[in-house]
Amino acid sequence: MSHPVLDEVRRYLGRGQSAPLAARPAVPPARQANSTSEEIELLLREIQALSGSAAHMAAGDLDAALVRLVQEQEIKKACLWSTPRLADLGVERRLQDLGVQIIPGQADKRSLAQCDLGVTEVDFALPETGTLGLLASAKKPRAVSLLPRVHLAIVHPAALRADLQQVFIEAKDQHYLVFISGPSRTADIELTVTLGVHGPKALVVWVMDD
Amino acid sequence: MSETPTHIEFGEYSRRVPPNIPAAVQQATARFLEHRQARVDEMPQWEDLRQAASDLRLHTLLHLDTYLEKLESRVSAAGGVVHWARDAAEACEIVLEIARAHKVRRAVKVKSMATEEIGLNQALAAAGIQALETDLGEFIIQLAGTGPSHIVAPAVHLTKEEIAALFSEKLGVQAPADPVQLTEIAHAALREKFLEADMGISGGNFLVAETGTLVIVTNEGNGRMCTTLPDLHVAVVGIDKVIPDWESLAVLLKLLARSATGVKISTYTSFISGPRAVEGEGGPREFHLVLLDNGRSRLLQDPLGRETLKCIRCGCCLNVCPVYKNVGGFAYGWFISGPVGAIFSPQILGVEAARQLPFASTLCGACADVCPVKIPIPEILLHLRQRVVEGDEFGGPAVARVVQVGAKTAALAFGTPWLYRLGARLLPWLSAPAQRQGWLAALPPPANRWTKVRPFPAFAARFRQWWKGRHPRKQP
Amino acid sequence: MISASMAIQAQLFITCLSEHFYPGVLEKMTALLERLGVELIFPEEQTCCGQPFYNSGFQNQARDLAEKWLNAFGRSPAPVVSPSGSCVEMVRHQYPRLFKEGTQQHALAQDLSQRTFELTEFLVHQLKIIDVGATFPHTVTYHASCHYLRGLGLRSEAQQLLRAVRGLELAPMQDEEVCCGFGGVFSVIFPEVSQAMMESKVQNILNSGAEAVVACDAGCLMNIGGGLRKAGSAVRAMHIIEILASQG
Repeated sequence: MSHPVLDEVRRYLGRGQSAPLAARPAVPPARQANSTSEEIELLLREIQALSGSAAHMAAGDLDAALVRLVQEQEIKKACLWSTPRLADLGVERRLQDLGVQIIPGQADKRSLAQCDLGVTEVDFALPETGTLGLLASAKKPRAVSLLPRVHLAIVHPAALRADLQQVFIEAKDQHYLVFISGPSRTADIELTVTLGVHGPKALVVWVMDD
Repeated sequence: MSETPTHIEFGEYSRRVPPNIPAAVQQATARFLEHRQARVDEMPQWEDLRQAASDLRLHTLLHLDTYLEKLESRVSAAGGVVHWARDAAEACEIVLEIARAHKVRRAVKVKSMATEEIGLNQALAAAGIQALETDLGEFIIQLAGTGPSHIVAPAVHLTKEEIAALFSEKLGVQAPADPVQLTEIAHAALREKFLEADMGISGGNFLVAETGTLVIVTNEGNGRMCTTLPDLHVAVVGIDKVIPDWESLAVLLKLLARSATGVKISTYTSFISGPRAVEGEGGPREFHLVLLDNGRSRLLQDPLGRETLKCIRCGCCLNVCPVYKNVGGFAYGWFISGPVGAIFSPQILGVEAARQLPFASTLCGACADVCPVKIPIPEILLHLRQRVVEGDEFGGPAVARVVQVGAKTAALAFGTPWLYRLGARLLPWLSAPAQRQGWLAALPPPANRWTKVRPFPAFAARFRQWWKGRHPRKQP
Repeated sequence: MISASMAIQAQLFITCLSEHFYPGVLEKMTALLERLGVELIFPEEQTCCGQPFYNSGFQNQARDLAEKWLNAFGRSPAPVVSPSGSCVEMVRHQYPRLFKEGTQQHALAQDLSQRTFELTEFLVHQLKIIDVGATFPHTVTYHASCHYLRGLGLRSEAQQLLRAVRGLELAPMQDEEVCCGFGGVFSVIFPEVSQAMMESKVQNILNSGAEAVVACDAGCLMNIGGGLRKAGSAVRAMHIIEILASQG
């Protein structure tokens, strides 16, 4: 397929049609992981440095942690990803028991915007930069991690990756991926950092073993 | 700052800079550099990454046709629609067409230098479509009706008091001069706008040819909001933003945020390949990518033009440039400023429109030291200066004949040894009456441009005679 | 170590700025190098390396002057020494670019580019001398000239030489590596911006508490020296050679 712009590009590169591709230059090697416990510690530290809240806990601690979260953040409405692990952990049921109204993740954006809390898992986590990687699908709606003012992300240690390159190898053919590194932030007013300007004001990350 | 400029008067603009701008810019950039240095110190592979990034970008530009074709094919396969825009007018027309076809009345925008370059907001407004900037800094300067003073922190020149007054006036709210509360006001004001918008407009930091993926980087989350909530997403991206694949992307993302503001990574990075898969996922039903040329292709024929196109718009060169830090972004006359603006604008607009910009530098080289993709900015500036005064195969000259004649005459005087030596002997004698304690307080024009600022040293050539006295018989 | 049987020769490249405005620096450089055992040659027909023209975009004129410079210094096989970082940068990096590859002038430019040295790099890397036997019992602060620092990559040579000077105390300067605002033609094309940069540099010098500021480039010294005088300051702007030649 041709177009004036492509023709111009070829013309200024001094050729009539596309040339065979030269080898793409090499990239430096990827970062290697330390032990799992060190990587988890690093992830928690980096998220906290970004003003997120992060903790490592056993599945048995979930109940108490949810009670605290609902209380401290005054959660009235929540929306969730619909994944097997979240179902196994019974997150939705526990929230309902605490009096939180559940809005379906596939609800319209205005309904989701009413939620105080969005609960997701993560598909990837990058300890080096405190980054969470989330894919998207009907069961993993994008807005759950975006519209509510609190985003709770439950991380399985198996999601940890040492380097961007590894995440990219696994995720490149997905139609959507988002990296989240801390709560929404800006320093546009006199360089003073403030949180929650558009995205969630609070990011809560629980690394949870089985 | 939206129409394509025809004559950038850096000298005049720099003289009209309000005094608060240099101070604000210096404060912001000092902080960015301090944090950047911490990042560089903790990364032993930093120089390897820079070299790889430079090589990757250059490789891509040398094969830009192949990668653009691949990109188009992949974006289309992913369900996106690709449009090609030869220039700013065509790009605006394409976006307007899409907006009209979808009966768009309200659009929300992520900060995008490409859309500033083409004057999109003005074109939309003229067509009765409200295009609201949603980056806090861009939102603020849109309310204020001014341009950005820095490419990454556009409202850094405004105080919280000024922003509070602006919000009070334009938003009709009681706005206290406190950043946290001002942020909350902006959050509330924009939240509803995101939800009701018919179209989200963005630029793009990178376009990955391998899979047709648009990469958008923000800290605030408005990038996600604009590209997730409206049913329609239109992205305007320069053709120079293409990169081959995700491996290359990893290299560039490791450099971008660290170079820009000294954070390891920005808060949100979206990787978008086409529209949403199903309705329940959320996200736009339609995705349009407008690929913008607007003079970039012409730079591909010049090796230094290709070096210029490597730019990933991190703003680090601005942060280190002592000239930029004394004048701010407005003085550079277009959407792009600092050292990169000084090389981009004259090449895209032509030296006739921007002939002062290559000279708006002391060639100190601080920019080249920090550029994550190793653009040899001082070298490009020198070539552009030649284009301005002598002309070369790609353009110019853009000075009067008399300037060229003057240079030839001066070179003759400098290059003729007996004439030069005569001048060396005469000048101390001629200027003796005017010198005081080894200094000349005033010189005739145009040299008075020096002495208006500080005294000039007295002419005092005597070495040749001294040498002859010391070595009477030594000749080469 | 220099011994009489292997006397080093060097050609003096005095530069137009130093010739016209800092003759004392040239005299001291000559005396210093001869004291260190260097046999000096002074090619008389040298004038200007052409940098002011090159930096203004007049590459054709710069090429003419470069050709003359190469002829003046190409006659002798001896290395070339200069008290100016920016002029040496011109010869080393820009001269080869001015001539077409394969021509005689290009070959000559390549040759001279490899054996033209700034004074401090000549002392430290060619003569391998750091202690030149100088005494200067004062506090000085150092300004890193842009072409010297970034153009030639000389990040420690001046400081090494200064630290070996008896009695000298080196006071740190904030923004030591930031441009002073001279930039050749820049200072007269955009005088207001040049002034702002110069005033920042002068303020940093005054804040250092030093009695003198030292640099390795005449352009910087003209700008900074003039600025200090205008500010009514007694702080002296000195070329490093003046300190290295000082005997107390």
